[in-house]
Formats: sequence, structure tokens, C-alpha cells
Amino acid sequence: MKPVAITGLGVVSPFGAGVKAFWEGLSSGVCAIRPITLIDTEGFRCRIAAEVPGPIAGSARRSRADRLALAAAREALDDAGVDRGDREDAAVIVGAVGGGMLEAEAWHWRRMRGSTEPVPRPLASSFPSAHADVIGSTLGLTGPRETVVTACSSGAASLAMAADLVGDGVVPVALAGGVDALTRICFMGFNALRLLDAAPCRPFDRDRRGMSIGEGAAFVVLEDPARARARGARVYAELVGYGMTGDAFHVTSPHPEGEGMARAMRIALQGAGVAAASVGYANAHGTATAQNDRIEARAMRDVFGEGGLLVSSTKSMIGHTMAAAGTLEAVATVLAVSSELVPPTAQLETPDPEIPFDCVPRVAREATVEFAISNSFGFGGQNVTLLFKRAA
Amino acid sequence: MGQRVAITGVGVVDERTPDVATWLADESEARRLSRICQLTVAAGRRALADAGLDAHGGLAVMVGTEFGDMVSTISFVDGYLGRGPGGLSALLFPHTVMNTMAATTAIAVSAKGLSLTLSALTVAGELAIARAASAIRAGRVGACLAGGADEPAPLVMSALREAGAAPELRAAGAGFVVLETFDGARERGARILGEIAGAAWRAVPARPHRIGSTASSRAIAAALTEAGASAAEVGRVYTSANGDGPREEWERALVDAALAPHRLTHRSLSVPTGRHSGLAAHSVATAASEGGDKLALVHAVARGGNQVAILVRGPDGSDS
Amino acid sequence: MEPKEVFDELKTMLVSRLKFDPRRAVDLTLETALPKGVEDSIGLDSLDFIELSIAIEERFGIAMDESADLAPHFASFDTLSRYIASRTTRA
Repeated sequence: MKPVAITGLGVVSPFGAGVKAFWEGLSSGVCAIRPITLIDTEGFRCRIAAEVPGPIAGSARRSRADRLALAAAREALDDAGVDRGDREDAAVIVGAVGGGMLEAEAWHWRRMRGSTEPVPRPLASSFPSAHADVIGSTLGLTGPRETVVTACSSGAASLAMAADLVGDGVVPVALAGGVDALTRICFMGFNALRLLDAAPCRPFDRDRRGMSIGEGAAFVVLEDPARARARGARVYAELVGYGMTGDAFHVTSPHPEGEGMARAMRIALQGAGVAAASVGYANAHGTATAQNDRIEARAMRDVFGEGGLLVSSTKSMIGHTMAAAGTLEAVATVLAVSSELVPPTAQLETPDPEIPFDCVPRVAREATVEFAISNSFGFGGQNVTLLFKRAA
Repeated sequence: MGQRVAITGVGVVDERTPDVATWLADESEARRLSRICQLTVAAGRRALADAGLDAHGGLAVMVGTEFGDMVSTISFVDGYLGRGPGGLSALLFPHTVMNTMAATTAIAVSAKGLSLTLSALTVAGELAIARAASAIRAGRVGACLAGGADEPAPLVMSALREAGAAPELRAAGAGFVVLETFDGARERGARILGEIAGAAWRAVPARPHRIGSTASSRAIAAALTEAGASAAEVGRVYTSANGDGPREEWERALVDAALAPHRLTHRSLSVPTGRHSGLAAHSVATAASEGGDKLALVHAVARGGNQVAILVRGPDGSDS
Repeated sequence: MEPKEVFDELKTMLVSRLKFDPRRAVDLTLETALPKGVEDSIGLDSLDFIELSIAIEERFGIAMDESADLAPHFASFDTLSRYIASRTTRA
């Protein structure tokens, strides 16, 4: 693929609003997974998650997820210095799963318990495609507009799709990202699947017990590198390759040998013409389920060799933020490369001997990395690997 | 320029299709797949059979949908509301994520390539086909099942009505076209139904859930540019009309403005039976089957401004 | 509860929770194997077993501990019925 420049970042995370708070939290190894306040958790084994703290800016007539998305999208566009004139042609691609379901659930819960209140206004925006319409309309983006749903890899797929639009010359600049607010459906579903740890998740730990869920939003601005240079934009990193594959194996379980995951990583490398040995860091999908971490590690070993690169899971700090995860982790990877600091895996006390990598336990590591990958995998075997290169 | 994009198969099913069950492979698909996933799997298998294409590793799948599997989603939450945590179904949970139709179809036909679910009001099926065509044209994908699926959930439909949404005819159904590189299709001796000559998608300024105030748009012009064609070469138009009067009028104005001074008869396959995202595949295949010298425009625009234009050439035009 | 009664409850769950055709439940015997890939089994996969665990917990009021290896108990209706019967008797 043709490389594209990353010239703007925007984040609302469990560390609060802004890229700065996000990176300070990650590089300090702080865990933001706490008791859930947004929804009723009575009767469930796991009752914690990484919620975005405090009030969320924006109109109460918008869903929480729309407000998270708008704040992150604004920060990214402002950071890149994409002004009104440039926005008309800009693409907006949003990875989304839950949409405005948090509010829709609340209404449905009340209605099922006898309430006769009318349908509140945010309900019209309950579906994932609402975010792109809200962002596009509010921020004046009238290029190609897409909402992509590849489950837990949606936020990474959106960046790959945006890179294609920029690389094909369809648009000069694209805003791409992912968003999810906590929802009851997600919380209840992962509880039902018995995939949640009652304590904050411990990716790559021998004693890991499952994942923690979270919420947030992140967007990046992708741009033609020549255009970025010409206008003197700051380039954080370049997205130089991606791989998107399907396991075609099972609706919830990954392929037991990580075949689809390894194929996504190889395609990303091949598309960029980058040797596996040049990659210094992998921001893993690293959910802390017994199955994911073992299989992901196996796939990485097949591609990069044992101990071939530093691996960490930032989900240990911000939880699994669903459709936002792929973008939040892409931003973490970009910042790792540009600040020469690899964020740690929090709560990692006893590394699993089956995972043959240095998983950067608890403390961030200074490291100069030329190329880094971010892995994201979703239900249905939807694997996405993004490959970033340090800016020259 | 890139690769030419051939249409080599089509499969569309809906609630009236009598033999959906015969396209399911085994007991597990019959009991585990939700209704919308069964429709999608059946449409996918039919399209591949129509194309004479064996399931193979590199096949991509792109599915457009308005609301995904809301029937299963509501059933999932009502399990909890009725009986507490013990009423939750692990089997239903994966269906609450909109990629469930694409995932179950990819598993059913062993498609291990790129798999994307695109969600949008009204235009989702056209968008998936346009995305697929652009991926094939750029050489990123060799063959793709592209289309969509929907199943209106009664609760969602009534809530939308209550919230003041425009009345729209909706139906349950799924549909795919098989798109391939023209060269690849020729090489394997496939029957070529037609060609996607150009495809583009853009947004027209409009507030969410509203129609826009302008008749000027860019997707049709961009698709014409990709096809290397002029507005005069368009002879037929398929629209997304489905009973939402103001949106239909807006769509007519957008299309007429883009093709001016030519005014063509518009036709929508969503009327009278109801629209679902799989009908985009039906429109594209129908447009191709009519052949002739002219291009057909398959067009869709949603409230909120999302617009898709696909230019289809029949097989006669494709051989030149 | 006797294993035979548990077996009848499990057959009900197969229809109500795992969506088997009711006619299918008639042919089942205690010896019928459960896991997919085993000859003449009813073809349950990991997700089916989670569903079945939730149903068992709800119906019999016992906790199916996910950290323990439950696979031996999920081998056939016989093993599963005995396991549940022993847990309910003990409780």
C-alpha cells in the first residue's frame, strides 16, 4: 500500500479527555479499571470496567457515544490543523459497535417495567451509523462517509479503510477512528460468555482470568504524505501497511493456531515491504482471556520469532474499549514510536511461560522503534494488523 | 484506471423465498443461525453457485446493513429483563454485533479474505458494493461477495415511528452479487453478467435524519469520472425510493441535477415489497441484465446525506 | 435429584436454549455424546457448552466453575446427568 501520514490525534479515554491525559496515563502504567457506575451490575460476577470519568462535554440530547466521538474527532482535526476548507472533501470513517445503545437500553428497561414515557430524542441515534452522520454534519466533513463494524477490531479497520481512500487518491485527507460507550448488552454478553475477570484484567499473566471492558473514543487524521509535507504539518508516524483477514472458523473463538491473525500480520508486512525483524514493538490485542493471549502470542511467534519484539497490552490499563480499542491502541502505538517509549502491561506479575515475549511488565520502557504493529481481533474471526513507521 | 470489475453472480432471498432452508448446510446452521443470518448465508451460497465460484480462501465479504440483527439483540436483552442473568443467552450475544451476518457467511463459505460490515441508513447495500468494487479495481481484492441484509425488528420499527421518523417500506431479506476482476473472471471461463464501470460515495450536506437543502452532489460525477463516461451515456436509473416522500423527491432532484439536461425515468426495486440492504445486489444485477449500449445508474441517498452512485454496464458493452 | 430426571431436564434445555428440533430430542439416549467431532454426537461446540452451563446454573442452582475442567462431565448425557445429580444431592 501507499504510506499515509498520521497528522492529527484525538482521544477521550478512561484517563479523561485528551491525548495528553491518555499518554500520561499509559506511560505511567496506571490502571483505570474501576467499579462500574453507569449501569446496574447487581447479580453479575464481574462489576468493574474502565469508564470515561466525569461529565462528558456536549449536548445531553446526544448519546454518550456521540459526545465521546465528537470530542475526539474535534481534537484530531484541530491537532492536524485541518481547517474548514479542507474538510469539504475529507472522508470520515467510524468504527462502531454499540452506537447509542446505552440510552436506548435505559429507555427499553423502563418501558419493559411499565413506563409509558415517549421515545426520547437520542433514540433516533441509537445505531452505530449515527456517529458518522453526527460528526460529518457537525464538523462539516462531506467526503466519503462510512461506518464499519468488524466487532472488536472496528477501530483498526476504519484506519485501514481510510488509508485506502487516501492512497487511491479519492481524498486528500481522512478522519478515521472508533467509538464505544459502555452498554448493558456488552457488559451482560461478556459476563454470559464468562470472559470477564472480576478484578482488573492481567494480560499475558500466567494467572489471567479474562478481560475487563471499557469505553472511549479515538480519531486520527490520515493524509497524503506529500500534502502533509507541503503544508508543513507535524507527522506523528506513517501508516505503511495493514492486513485484514477472516478466520472463517467460529463466531466467538479464534482459530486455535492463530492462522488468520498471523496472516493479517504477514500481509501488513508484505504490503509495506518491511521485514519482520525490523518491527520493534507490538501493541497486542491482549484481552487477557486464556485463549486470546496464548493464540495471539503463538501467531506473533510464527511471524516474528520468539522474543522478536517488545509486546504490551494497553488493555491492562484502559480495558477493552470495543470499537474504540483499535484506534486507541493505534494512537498508543503511534505515540510509542514517536516518543520512543513503549507503554507497559499493567498488573503483569507472573509472565505466562507459554508467551515467549518480553511483555513490558508494569513499567514503561524507553526504546527506539522504527516499525511497530497494532493488532486487533474481533468476534467472527475479524483480524486487523496495522503497521506504523516512525516519522523521518 | 486499475482493474475492470466484473459481475459474475447474484443471489437474493427474502421472506417469500421458499427454499432458504435448502441452502443451509447442516443442523448446526439451522439451529444456531438467526433468521437474518440464515437469509444472508443462503444469499451468499446462491450468489456463489450462480457465479460457479467455489468457496476459496481469498474470497472477501462485504455486507451492508441498516440495523443488523436487532431481532436477536432484543431477544438477548429481554432474556435478562425477564429472568435476570440466568436468562442471558451466550448463543445470542454474538448476534448483537452487526458483523454477525458477514461473520456467519464467511464461515459458511470459507471466505478468509477481507470481511467488512458497513452500516448506514438506506444506502448500506450500495455502499458495500461500491467499496467492494473499489477494492477490486485497486487490485487489493480478487473476488468478493458484496451486498447486504436486513430484518426489521417490530420494536425498532415502532420506536422509530414514535420518534417521528418518516414512514419507510422495509422488508427482511439478503442479497449479494459476486464481483471479480474482469481478467480473473475471463480466465476461469465465468459467465459475465455485466461490469461495474464506476462507483463512488460522498456525503451531501444534511443534518442527521434530515434531507439536505441542495440538489448538487458529487458521487454521481465521481462515478462517471471513474467510468470515463459522460452523463449522456446513462440510460437507466435505479433509486432507493421506499416510501419516504421528501427523501424520494430529494433523490430525484440530486439525480436529475447530476445528469442534466437528461431526465430519465427512475425505478426502485424497493417498491412495493419493501427495502432491505440486499436489494442493492438485486438492482445491480437487474441493471446489468438489461444490457444495451447505455450505462445504468444504481443510486441511493440517505437522510443525513450519505450518497452512493454505482454505474453498471451490461455484458454486451463489457466485451468491447 | 435422580440422573434420569436430570436427563429429562437436559433434553428440555436442548430444545429451549440450544434450539434443537423437538423431534431430535426424542431419539437421544443417556449414551449420546455431546461434543462436536465425536462420532454420533449431537455436535455441541464451546459456545453451546457455555449456553448449557448458564441453563444448568439457572435450573439446578449450582455453579459451573469455569476455572475447573468441565470437559469430562460434558462428554455425554450420562456423565453430565450424573455430575449434576451429584452436585444437587450434595447441596
